[in-house]
Amino acid sequence: MGGYLSVVIYLVMIVAFAIVSLAVARVLRPRRPFAAKLQTYECGAEPFGQAWVQFPVGFYLVALLFIVFDALAVFLFPWVLALRGLGMWAVVAMVVFLAILGLGWFYAFRERLLEWQ
Amino acid sequence: MTFETLTLLVPELALFALAVVVLLIGAVRSSAYVGRGPLAEVSRGPAGWTTLLGLGATFILTFTVREGASLLDGAFVQDSLALFAKRLFLASAAISLLGSLTLRTGAFSRRSAEYHFALVASLLGMSVVASARELVLLFVGFELMSIPLFLMTGFLKREAVVPEAALKFFLVGTASSAMIVYGMSFVYGVAGSTMLSDIPPPLRDGPPLLMLGMAILLAGLGFKIAAFPFHMWAPDTYEAASPPFVAWLSVAPKAAGFVVIIRLYLAGVGTAALVWTPVIAVLAGMTMVTGNLMAIPQRNIKRLLAYSGIAHIGYMLVGLAALSSSGVAMMLFYLVAYTFGNMGAFLVVQAVAQSEQSDGIDAYRGLAQRSPLLALAMLLFLLSLGGIPFVAGFWAKLYVFWAAVERGMYGLVFLGAVLTVVALYYYLLVARRMYIDAPERPEPVQVPGLLGVAIVACVIGVVGMGLYPAPWVTLAQRVASTLFS
Repeated sequence: MGGYLSVVIYLVMIVAFAIVSLAVARVLRPRRPFAAKLQTYECGAEPFGQAWVQFPVGFYLVALLFIVFDALAVFLFPWVLALRGLGMWAVVAMVVFLAILGLGWFYAFRERLLEWQ
Repeated sequence: MTFETLTLLVPELALFALAVVVLLIGAVRSSAYVGRGPLAEVSRGPAGWTTLLGLGATFILTFTVREGASLLDGAFVQDSLALFAKRLFLASAAISLLGSLTLRTGAFSRRSAEYHFALVASLLGMSVVASARELVLLFVGFELMSIPLFLMTGFLKREAVVPEAALKFFLVGTASSAMIVYGMSFVYGVAGSTMLSDIPPPLRDGPPLLMLGMAILLAGLGFKIAAFPFHMWAPDTYEAASPPFVAWLSVAPKAAGFVVIIRLYLAGVGTAALVWTPVIAVLAGMTMVTGNLMAIPQRNIKRLLAYSGIAHIGYMLVGLAALSSSGVAMMLFYLVAYTFGNMGAFLVVQAVAQSEQSDGIDAYRGLAQRSPLLALAMLLFLLSLGGIPFVAGFWAKLYVFWAAVERGMYGLVFLGAVLTVVALYYYLLVARRMYIDAPERPEPVQVPGLLGVAIVACVIGVVGMGLYPAPWVTLAQRVASTLFS
């Protein structure tokens, strides 16, 4: 259990730092709000409407297909770096993996998920 | 990886190949191309039939595997328990398929390949789960088993209650997966290894963190087998999904969950595992009480069978609580008896629902006069679930209670026996509708041919096991004895 004590201390310090710095800032900072200042700052578009609206399900399909592509990239980079040491077996394994993903892409293509409707 | 390794993985490789083939069929006969060109004729035919044949072939291939082999440094075993479970998964999936091949619903014909692909993928996950003796492999197997089940639950997405039920199942399922992986992290933290063979047996004098991890794991597995207090998803999910699928859902994933419980808490531990008896016994008692009492007021046959299914999980946990070779053997016997009885009942529900457009118990009024054979089949299934002599369920309950008595758990057995009477009450309520009440319409219920074959298979199973249980008992005892050597 002794090994975990440092984790607990770390956790307490993280939470304490957040609470203390927010509280101190609240006490010290001047408060002069106006409309432009309360807008979304730099990151993100201007907000409009409610968040509780229906999305076209097509967005999710595109997102899913993108994740498949992403996962492929995540596996490909370390594979390329380690390939020299692993030899032929690694090539075969990756070809099988690519074939499985390719099958999914082929299915998506046949289901016309790649065309935006 | 050598050639010998591949021969030991034959059932899994066969299922994988089948999944690829079914998906390719779907891609070639894509629903997006309906109404154009020579491929326009989309039917429920090829994907479903291919799957059925593939499952049969895989079932035969399981007999070519050398029993007791272990591969990937012991992370994957093909012992008798794994092969027993795999044959149960495959047989129940085939029976479920016979029922769903005749579904007239549009979604099943349009998206036939997707449905069957999900089924085969889930089966592959179950096969991995049944063989895994390594925590990460176990978790991946569980996910591969569960995610297609969410899809299949939500398959009839246009119907009103379906998205809600599928979402509930999905949320509960992912929460339980999270608990399983959280519990595993504690176990790994203590053992420093994910191989089950390197993890010390979870015993009273063991490290407290290990016990905590195993307790959290048990809760996660409790969701998967729908034991109290983790059972809330079952009735809603069963009510919304199509009956042939529910027949399989109520059996195969539960069997997979039980196999994992046996592997994690019992296998190779011996009598020291008795430290878990109180936990499992309390779980068993509460599950039996909840399932049986909640089944009484149900007016929907699928909800009734869902709660009765929860109660049966409780009875199986009684056998498990004995934590003995005979207890596990009797639990496996119960699992087979429950498979035939419960699947048969859900298949009859499918036949009646198809003809009456209703899942209410009132739809069964006068079924004995309209379709005497169908009513007789349903009666046999209900009697088997209730535990009446000369059908499978009687021996199952008797054996499970016997195993518990050997351990001196008289209280639990008494509770189970009393609740059996309660269960008979609500099973016989359905029987009274079928045999005593007058029918609203005279014409017989139409049973499609393949569905009839599936129902007959379940009848043969229930009656066969009831009249001549000896070979099944011997098989179950042989499987269980290898775990306690």
